[in-house]
Amino acid sequence: MIKSADVVVIGSGVIGASVAYFNAKSGAKVILIDRGDMAEGTSSKSDGNILVCDKMPGFDAKFAKASQDMFGPLSKELDFDIQWHQRGSLYIVEDEEQYEIAAKFCKDMVACGLPMRMMDKYEIHQDERYLADDLYGGLETACDGSLYPIGLCYGYALGAKKMGAELLFHNPVTGIDRDGNGFLVHSEQCDVAAKYVVDCAGVWSPVIGRMVGLEIPIQARQGQILVSEQTFRVARRKVHEFGYMLTKFGSSNYKRKVSERVERNGVAFVFEPTASNNFLIGSSRSFVGEDISNDIEVMQALAERAIRFFPVIRDIKVIRGYSGLRPFTPDHLPIVSDTPVPGFYIAAGHEGDGIGLSAITGKSIADMVAGRPTFMDLSPVSYNRFLKQ
Amino acid sequence: MENNILYNGYPSMEEIRRANGYPSEERFAKGPVAVTECVQEIPCNPCEGACPFHAITVGEPITNCPHVDEDKCTGCCTCVSACSGLAIFVIDKTYSETEGTVSFPFEYLPLPNPGDTVDALSRAGEFICKGTIVRVKNTAKNDHTPVVTMAVPKKYCDDVRTMRRLNIPEDAEFTPEEHVEYMDDDVLVCRCEEITAGEIRKAVREYGGTSVTEIKRRVRAGMGLCQGKTCSRLVTRIINEELSKAPSDVLPATSRPPIRPVTFGELMDGEEGGKHND
Repeated sequence: MIKSADVVVIGSGVIGASVAYFNAKSGAKVILIDRGDMAEGTSSKSDGNILVCDKMPGFDAKFAKASQDMFGPLSKELDFDIQWHQRGSLYIVEDEEQYEIAAKFCKDMVACGLPMRMMDKYEIHQDERYLADDLYGGLETACDGSLYPIGLCYGYALGAKKMGAELLFHNPVTGIDRDGNGFLVHSEQCDVAAKYVVDCAGVWSPVIGRMVGLEIPIQARQGQILVSEQTFRVARRKVHEFGYMLTKFGSSNYKRKVSERVERNGVAFVFEPTASNNFLIGSSRSFVGEDISNDIEVMQALAERAIRFFPVIRDIKVIRGYSGLRPFTPDHLPIVSDTPVPGFYIAAGHEGDGIGLSAITGKSIADMVAGRPTFMDLSPVSYNRFLKQ
Repeated sequence: MENNILYNGYPSMEEIRRANGYPSEERFAKGPVAVTECVQEIPCNPCEGACPFHAITVGEPITNCPHVDEDKCTGCCTCVSACSGLAIFVIDKTYSETEGTVSFPFEYLPLPNPGDTVDALSRAGEFICKGTIVRVKNTAKNDHTPVVTMAVPKKYCDDVRTMRRLNIPEDAEFTPEEHVEYMDDDVLVCRCEEITAGEIRKAVREYGGTSVTEIKRRVRAGMGLCQGKTCSRLVTRIINEELSKAPSDVLPATSRPPIRPVTFGELMDGEEGGKHND
């Protein structure tokens, strides 16, 4: 059986679902294909933070802010409840040295137009009463928010379906042939003839890239999360340690004073309250192939780091751990781009920011496919940047 | 480790003491009292509402094990038939000079008659001694869970928990019931997250869920405190019905640590290292 479409989107995580949604919205006939279920990979193993505070000043922050600004309208536009809340986020700094690094970072971000400000010791304890007494200060980002990531995937996908997109799940893509001006995408259930193909397969996007002869420099960076029982409000919004920035980018000379197991597993404290009155505790970073088992040592390190910032967490129960794979690129920026293969696009490599960057990614790809100008110069996220090296 | 309900199918005295507590001998000396033997932290609380004297507490979260306030309990046996897990008994050690009684739920036919001599069995179903039937209560309020009161020597009151079935045919064989009742749409399937059968059917029909994990992602069934221990079979059954699949063809949910909830403090302070594989 041969189906036909304008755009075939491969991968139905949050990025693929968004790309399908925005392409359908601009009038294209879309087929969204996944080897498994909706949001089965990284998107169901994530948290729901929509942040600008953990981006680098400059392009990274502007790209993230453009995406963040889309969630308010999207929460009204999509039929599925995505539980969007915009309560801001709080970075905690542990000592004077961290405070100085954070203050410099804050200044650069404010210069990019982001609503950030430093808070002193008194202010952070007024803001979150359960914080450990000795914590030194903080950095608030007023525009940050959170949502239910799996719900967002459904929102996009069901929205795309409503506008005529076809969803083909449990249907692995087996090969892609060039066919005149377009492509013939082979999958287990059917072949699809399409003018455009968008590779949104995240951690697995290199496999799809190779089908058209492209090497995509994305590898899996594992992260683990702990889920608490439903409990009282430990913190009213997202709280994380400023050291998170340092572990995410691994670029500063500053060394945190932490235990070996925290250091070894790249553990940085992230607290996210959920709409269901649980909270999530992250984060860890390690390169372990495609292993998504839970490592007890990582779980212990996550618990240890959480108790350091909120001692009251000690007596709250953990009901589940989970683990997922972030699609990591060498320069921490995603690939949202056309490629040397005409008609073949890549939207992948968002590392831990896929949920937050999904909206602008889907919108930008839809603009490129339709031949419209993108909202800003997207060369920092072009595929070509890896070819020049 | 091996002397517990997961290995044996019945709880040890140690587990009962830890999860529920056990009445003191002073209390037993005052007359009949309820003993809850419910140790598995399942989301279930009919006992709490059934007690007319508010002597049983489960509280929040619903997975707490029940606790009996021995001063409030009168030994009325209402909770014995209310417990869907058949895990509550009433013990009366003041029945006579030499004997006490054990009241237990008994859902087998035929029922015994007062005065009958029967085999009194332990929690494990092993013979302990002969017992004499004192009373069989099976009113509408019992809702098909008759409560049998049986006299046994006082020293066996803490060990006897049921009686051997009467008139078991020689060639008795277990045959599963063929007709399975259809669950109404408003039946709560996931009690922790309060997800109904109707919502699960919607997740299959409208959102295309085909496995326990896919249902979980769509409507949160199994995301709560018990992590699907209670609802995953029911969810599987609904998927079977909706998609005409065999139970073995429906993929179960991914199991993740911890097996039971532990506090962040216990996790941090636990033994070093180790790896959990799915």
